[in-house]
Amino acid sequence: MTTHRLSRRTLLRATAAAGAAALLSSCARGPGGAVDLAYWNFFTGSDGELMVGLVDRFRSEAPNVRVTDTTLMWGPPYYTKLAMACAGGRAPDLGTLHASRLPTFGTDLLDEWDVDELAARGVSMDEFPEPVRKRVTIDGRVMALPLDTHPMVLYYNTDICEKAGLLAADGSLAPITSADQMLDAGRRAAEVTGSTGIAFGSADNLGGWMLFWSLFRQLGGQMRLPDGGPAEVDRDATVQAMTLMRDMADGTVASPTLDGQAASAAFASQQTGFLIHGPWEVTTARTAEIPFSMTQFPALYGDTPYVRADSHSFVLPAQAQVDPAARSAAYDMAVSMLRNSLDWASGGGHIPALSAVAESPQYLDQQPISNYRGAAQVVEYDPEAYFSGSGSTLMSRAGQSIQGVTSRALTPEQGADDLIGWLDSQLKLGSPL
Amino acid sequence: VTAAGTVAAPGRVEPGVAPRRPGPSLVGARGGIWFVLPFMLVYAAFVLWPLLYGLGLSFFDTSLVRDESQFVGLANYAQLFSDPEVWRTLWVTVLFTIGSTIPLVVIALVMALLVQTGVRGQWFWRFVYFAPFLLPVATVVLIWQWLFSGDFGLFNGILTGMGLPAVGWLTEPEIGLWSVVILTVWWTVGFNFLLYLAALQAIPAQLYEAAELDGAGGWRRLLSITLPLLNRTTGLVVVLQVLASLKLFDQAYILYKANGGPGGSATPILQYVYDTGFTDYRLGYASAISYMFFVLIILIALVQARLSRRSAS
Repeated sequence: MTTHRLSRRTLLRATAAAGAAALLSSCARGPGGAVDLAYWNFFTGSDGELMVGLVDRFRSEAPNVRVTDTTLMWGPPYYTKLAMACAGGRAPDLGTLHASRLPTFGTDLLDEWDVDELAARGVSMDEFPEPVRKRVTIDGRVMALPLDTHPMVLYYNTDICEKAGLLAADGSLAPITSADQMLDAGRRAAEVTGSTGIAFGSADNLGGWMLFWSLFRQLGGQMRLPDGGPAEVDRDATVQAMTLMRDMADGTVASPTLDGQAASAAFASQQTGFLIHGPWEVTTARTAEIPFSMTQFPALYGDTPYVRADSHSFVLPAQAQVDPAARSAAYDMAVSMLRNSLDWASGGGHIPALSAVAESPQYLDQQPISNYRGAAQVVEYDPEAYFSGSGSTLMSRAGQSIQGVTSRALTPEQGADDLIGWLDSQLKLGSPL
Repeated sequence: VTAAGTVAAPGRVEPGVAPRRPGPSLVGARGGIWFVLPFMLVYAAFVLWPLLYGLGLSFFDTSLVRDESQFVGLANYAQLFSDPEVWRTLWVTVLFTIGSTIPLVVIALVMALLVQTGVRGQWFWRFVYFAPFLLPVATVVLIWQWLFSGDFGLFNGILTGMGLPAVGWLTEPEIGLWSVVILTVWWTVGFNFLLYLAALQAIPAQLYEAAELDGAGGWRRLLSITLPLLNRTTGLVVVLQVLASLKLFDQAYILYKANGGPGGSATPILQYVYDTGFTDYRLGYASAISYMFFVLIILIALVQARLSRRSAS
């Protein structure tokens, strides 16, 4: 009995000691000077697979770094958790961020990238396209390291467009240079498919916003959102952009009831001749093995084909205590992923941000995804406000106004006033930053 | 208190057997507190404290992403009264509550009556009607997303097959909320059904026999015996259902992927609270909105309690 009790106590003690040791070792450096690096991202689906590939490449390049990669659902779930982790001082060592979300995160929640540290790893900020560089630089400090640019692009079904007489002699899409031509191309494609000509996310916040923001900027529209309001929004351009979207969603040129997934499904099943969407849907079109190509979204208004875009980028979330070894490993990992972004580009359709990759022959040979690389020079990021950017309240609320118009519940004028009225009241609430 | 509970009636003490020494009662004595303490601690930490903390937050301009916050008095409350989005989303919640409570009570009652009045294999129907209630919300929504899908959905497939126009279940602002109602009825009607079935089975059979001898037909028995005797259950079901419907959030949030439905038509007030607090980081203001809603729910519950007391007496 006595021996029993003793041995049980010894066992308990040993267990507690082992547990404490395990706990301690998980916080501290591992054996052989290994560095622990926590990396958060929001990539799922095909982008998620490509991201795992990039992480694994880094793991093989830097065997002494133990990377723990965590994938969270993109949009509010990811950004809420990252913001809370940063505010609490226990953020991951490296994170992913849409460049459009920098106004929310850029001020307090992130540490800047040290350009000397980057230069030591062979990366200079001159290697990124100018509009992208401008977006990630706040008050002269580099707050995010862009991995790619993903503009809205125009997909076209080469078979359907050929039958509709929309192809040029070289087999590529004949230039579309005005809103009327776009509508006409949609109608002619619809005659071939027997249903609709163009698919876009008319009933989808992201899809509606991408097209609206591109048209609005092509029309020269300006949107400034000063704290405290009122919003300075070009109402005429808003109305005109919404009018075109309503005219497109007439049931012939485009369906008014497609969400983002349904839009790419309609294109992949050859029910439409065109698809207006993000470049990542190239996976869907490739999987469906349909005859298709992609091109830069054309200038329907004005001369410059401004297009709504965003950039996946890497950030250094603010931590209460920065471990220099982990920080250094975070630089290594980010640079490694930039250098290896060819797979990211060819698999996901994104335009690589780093010029060494974007100008490499391997990328330029990739069809059809290198067709729209010029878009990186004319990208239009979302307007700056704490509630704007990819997966933000602005996107979902503006999407509501736009859907109101495409579903014909609102006139374009009512839609514009609905959006501007909401912006005013949102700004009046004051910024939580 | 201790004595009152343990004094035995004199007549029941058997001769020769000494009355049992009155021990400390678990209910009244000090010992009782140790039994409820674990629960009370958890309850205080996860219900009472957050409740008070949230109330405190509503008087500050607390932000999720900023360390310092300032006392703003009633400014948050003043703001919500002039925020049209608060009232719009509150109306969505109220509309959902009205629109879902009625079918959830009526259909549950009809189902219970059908099962009770001698369908063969009662266990099967009981199981089938209750089964959806056991599914997690994400699963339910996933199923219905496919059923509702505009271009590939079963419902639109049937409609167009019969030569009727397709319906934008998830894309039309006038229909968006009613799709949530339909989904919710299918998902949760089984619970109310079970309450009704239990109540039906508790009605004594001799009442029906007596009525039958008096020549009462099936409808007469339903109207004069069954429904009046179900009054209490109906009151309970309505109260539970109204409170459950007011809490609308998860199925609408997942069904519309957090975007609030077509034209924002299916954004319940709880989603606005969530968006304000966690997507826009304005925790103080979000707390104020939720406390306004909290007070409203308490008022509704009080009115209901009063009505049911009046109908009972």
